[in-house]
Amino acid sequence: MKIKSFLTCIFLCAIFTTSRAQESDWLKEGDRLMQQGDYFHASVCYERVLFEGGNNAALLFNAVTGKLNCLKAEKKFAEADRFLKGILIPDFSNEQKFFLAEQRMLCAYLAGQFENCISQADLMKILFPSEYKSNLAAILRVLSYNELQQWKEAEQAWKEWAAAVDSMGLQNPYQNLPKFKSEEKAERLATFIPGAGQFYAGRPVEALIGILFQAAGVYYGVTSFLNHYYLSAWAGAGIFGSFHMGGVRRSKALVRGYNKKKMAAFNAMVRAQMTGK
Amino acid sequence: MKRLRFVSILFCFLISSVFLAAQQRGFEEEMRFANYLIGKSLYPEAIDVLSGMDTTGMSPEQKDVFFYTMGWAAYQFKQLELAEVSLMKVSAQSEEYRKSRAFAAYTLAHRGHYTRAEAIYRTVPAQDSVEAELIRMQHAGLALLQKQYQRYDSLRKGFNYSSYLFQQEEAKLDKFYSEMLAHKNKSPFLAGLYSAVIPGAGKWYAGKKKQAIAAFLPVASLGAVAYEAYRKGGVKSARFIVFGSIFSLFYIGNIWGSALSVNVERNEFNREYENKILFNMHIPLRNLYNQ
Repeated sequence: MKIKSFLTCIFLCAIFTTSRAQESDWLKEGDRLMQQGDYFHASVCYERVLFEGGNNAALLFNAVTGKLNCLKAEKKFAEADRFLKGILIPDFSNEQKFFLAEQRMLCAYLAGQFENCISQADLMKILFPSEYKSNLAAILRVLSYNELQQWKEAEQAWKEWAAAVDSMGLQNPYQNLPKFKSEEKAERLATFIPGAGQFYAGRPVEALIGILFQAAGVYYGVTSFLNHYYLSAWAGAGIFGSFHMGGVRRSKALVRGYNKKKMAAFNAMVRAQMTGK
Repeated sequence: MKRLRFVSILFCFLISSVFLAAQQRGFEEEMRFANYLIGKSLYPEAIDVLSGMDTTGMSPEQKDVFFYTMGWAAYQFKQLELAEVSLMKVSAQSEEYRKSRAFAAYTLAHRGHYTRAEAIYRTVPAQDSVEAELIRMQHAGLALLQKQYQRYDSLRKGFNYSSYLFQQEEAKLDKFYSEMLAHKNKSPFLAGLYSAVIPGAGKWYAGKKKQAIAAFLPVASLGAVAYEAYRKGGVKSARFIVFGSIFSLFYIGNIWGSALSVNVERNEFNREYENKILFNMHIPLRNLYNQ
């Protein structure tokens, strides 16, 4: 009798203890692979933990953050945003949900989805009114508005952030917005004054080279005409025309590049001011 | 003693049952996990999980499920070679046999292995007249891809245009057939010859009208300038030598470019119709087998 009971107990224990141990084993395996830099296989391990489900919210949360870190390490920010969007585990604490919402917003920003980032930040205010003291959310809102060049909204968001932190001595960067140049103006200048578009875009050397080629075309055309080489004069006019039209298009491209650099520098300045780094 | 022996045998039996059940559970859980990953569109992960499974201990039914799942995940992820190899391993006893064969054949067609694709389509046992017509349509598509117009013409006589699953695609294949027949292959030699006579004319002949004008203008201008330089300064004048050389370069380039443009146009046409035919072969497969 005793032996039978003993054997039955062993049998039952063997079945039921294996399953519980597996989920944490997969989690440990995932952590180990992630430390080794094998993010793909680590992701698979974390997905196993999520797949097994169960009621262990701490285990599931670690699996979610593990997979999120793998995707971020591989710079798959859009995929990370989609992954977090699909997480529907209601047993997480408010703090954990807040953390995941912040991460989702960060991934949206890093993926270049600035409107998505702003709407996530606005949603956080509604979902977590009492916990919403996220510096990260405030910073990302401001930077996203900057990227979209919505300056009024960016300034408003900056002021909200400044009011929430100790803002003594902080200068409002939106009072000195970067002065962007106009592509249309560059085009008009280059059309009527050879080289003027490139000068306006801040590239004097290119402007001089362009003027040189256009002048060479004009000189060749005029001297050919004066020497009664009328078709050659036409070729000279063609050289002038080609470089002139090219200069107009180039001016627009240069101004676009200039504005992009200005934008990046302004954003870096605002980011440094808001993060203190 | 007898009692102890009985208990030992019972214990061994119980442990064996646990082990076998664990194996079965292991296979089912892995397959469920793989399907979970496929459901989340995580195809590389699903393929990785399936690749880690050992097929040697699987029963024939398990192997069918395994190879079908692997093939379908690879197909969704556009790993067509893996999809073909896996789907071809699904046995005739499986419910997914016909679907596996049809899609394996399609992956071969997509990769340009038309003869092998045809051979596999012939092995698909059509369940009813709709499926039989679908298979005939796939054969017709393959004939069109290989430009076997007579064969296509005889196969399309079996089109009923009555099944909503692929009547539109059948009509489209017919349209492509007419357009491909009407398309005349141009000659690179003639294109070069035309451009030698009139710069750019060869490109016009090849169907590239804007390029023809773009080729004509500089060659004509340079030719005129070189002629003027020759007339006024003679053969040895610097102006003539420079412009004559540049004109010669552009002129030869124009002839060469025209001859090449015929090949480019032919390749573009073939690629365009290949994509259209494959697309219209694919839709009916999904319509019928994913119902």
